[in-house]
Amino acid sequence: MVIRRNNVNISGAGSRAMMFSHGFGCDQNMWTEVARKFEPDFRVILFDHVGAGRSDLTAYDPAKYARLEGYAEDVVEIGRALQLKDAIFVGHSVSAMIGALATLQAPGMFSELIMVGPSPRYVDDGDYVGGFLHAQVEELLEFLADNHLGWSAAMAPAIMGNPDRPELGVKLANSFCATDPEIARQFARTTFFSDNRADLPRLAARTLVLQCREDIIAPPCVGEYVHAQIPNSEYVLLDATGHCPNLSAPEKVTAAIRAFV
Amino acid sequence: MGEDLADLYENAPCGYLSLSPDGRIVKVNRTLIDWLGTSSDKLVGESFHSLLSFGGRIAYETHMAPLLRLQGFVHELALDLLDTEGGKLPVIANAAEKRGPDGEHLFTRLTVFKAVDRRTYERGLVAAKSEAEAKAAAEHDIAVLREQFIAVLGHDLRNPLMALAAGVRMIGERETLSGRGRLVVAEMGASVSRAQALIENVLDFARGRLGEGLALNRDKERPLKPVLEQVVAEIRAIAPDRKIITRFSIEQPVDCDPERIAQLASNLLGNAITHGAPGLPIELEAYTAEGEFVLSVANGGVPIPPAARAQLFQPFFRGAVRRSQQGLGLGLFIVDEIAKAHGGSMEVSSSEEETRFTFSMPN
Repeated sequence: MVIRRNNVNISGAGSRAMMFSHGFGCDQNMWTEVARKFEPDFRVILFDHVGAGRSDLTAYDPAKYARLEGYAEDVVEIGRALQLKDAIFVGHSVSAMIGALATLQAPGMFSELIMVGPSPRYVDDGDYVGGFLHAQVEELLEFLADNHLGWSAAMAPAIMGNPDRPELGVKLANSFCATDPEIARQFARTTFFSDNRADLPRLAARTLVLQCREDIIAPPCVGEYVHAQIPNSEYVLLDATGHCPNLSAPEKVTAAIRAFV
Repeated sequence: MGEDLADLYENAPCGYLSLSPDGRIVKVNRTLIDWLGTSSDKLVGESFHSLLSFGGRIAYETHMAPLLRLQGFVHELALDLLDTEGGKLPVIANAAEKRGPDGEHLFTRLTVFKAVDRRTYERGLVAAKSEAEAKAAAEHDIAVLREQFIAVLGHDLRNPLMALAAGVRMIGERETLSGRGRLVVAEMGASVSRAQALIENVLDFARGRLGEGLALNRDKERPLKPVLEQVVAEIRAIAPDRKIITRFSIEQPVDCDPERIAQLASNLLGNAITHGAPGLPIELEAYTAEGEFVLSVANGGVPIPPAARAQLFQPFFRGAVRRSQQGLGLGLFIVDEIAKAHGGSMEVSSSEEETRFTFSMPN
């Protein structure tokens, strides 16, 4: 059930498990390059959050996924199904916080947490700098409403009005990072209006914060804040730009993870 | 004269933009510079982000840039480019990565088309869709409220009607009345019965619509014949001038809700009184046979047109031919619901000789 719902894929040879979790806007494909490098030594677990990639769209529950805790529950369910113990969780972007919440929900499941471009709160709040203004998040939601980016391939025939004749549906150019536009908008709302700052000091897992230069979504000051708030954490500033070093500089991300574990 | 490729690049009827792997503008054509009302000097070296609205920037970083890395291209991006005056230029863009011999990322190239009219049209579509969805949701809410209102109203009307029925019965039985008075009281009694039956139907309908379904109180022990005889007696009281022939052959106990079967028979008989030819008798037949229980009501008169037969059991359906006030058109709908609740079914046959409604259920 859970395995199908979240399109869980398991590979690799090691005894210890390493679970990779994608962020907003993409799917498990964004981890392929890095994950492959760990297959000789780890049991590698990839999955799609519900609403993204090839997950089961019918499992999408707007109330559950209005909070990051809902996504963390799914991570814990996958972990239980695979009987994970003292595993490593690698989360990109919003999934870094989802992983943090999962370690709180199920102590012992993950002993190590690797946060790539994390942010506990995107919107500025008093002295706290998240990098976003409230109005900017609203503008993003408006933009997503306007944009039909990433129509799910599974939905295309239905959208074209010929669900019984899929060959009449448009062949979608983009085979990665598919998502239902409405779910994408709700995921954006959940992500960019989240505030999990209070959870950081409670984290018990050994944690690595991986930060990029010139990341407009999670700027370095946020990464430093996360590092300062998590008791048992290390901080590494990668020589990479943008928000997705797992794609723009996979070898650097791989090296940093390897050095940590 | 041959085509000038340099001129084609600069003055193509679309915009060209090349980005370095870290997202800075390295080359841009004349057309796009003119659309944005800027100059080449100002654009080259700038981050592509500076051309995008905030939402566009985030969407580019989280979705489009990863997609470009993964598959090397992205088609049909809808973006708003910011011009020098802060205005937004809606565009559609295709993007592709130019990669070196070893697969290293050299440039990201974008081809940009103006999409002002198209975006206006798309926004109109989205707005119309949300409007229709909001309207449908609101109408659904109103419908639920209306059905709840019907259920409450029907329920609250039952008590005063019961008091009225008891009062009319008491006057009829105990008071000394003139001949005319007796006639009026009998008609009043019939009207009250009819009102009660209508309210029961409305309540059942509302319950069904509110998702509660039709509840059955099956009682195999209770003999069905006296229950049906009571129904016939009530109908005879309402329509004393009509002839009702009964044929009962209920040999085995019937696993049914006797009250519901009484309601079914009452609705069918009431229907036969309303629609049947006044001079012809009405027939009620009920029997048990091998593995089933069958109850049917027949009347003479004008047959039901074939086209109408299919819709008879729909709620609020009323025949086109009306002689008198017929009520809400819920009677046959409830009959059908009772039949289904018993795991049975309703059938109708109609000819010049007779119109017959037959209920059969496994027993």
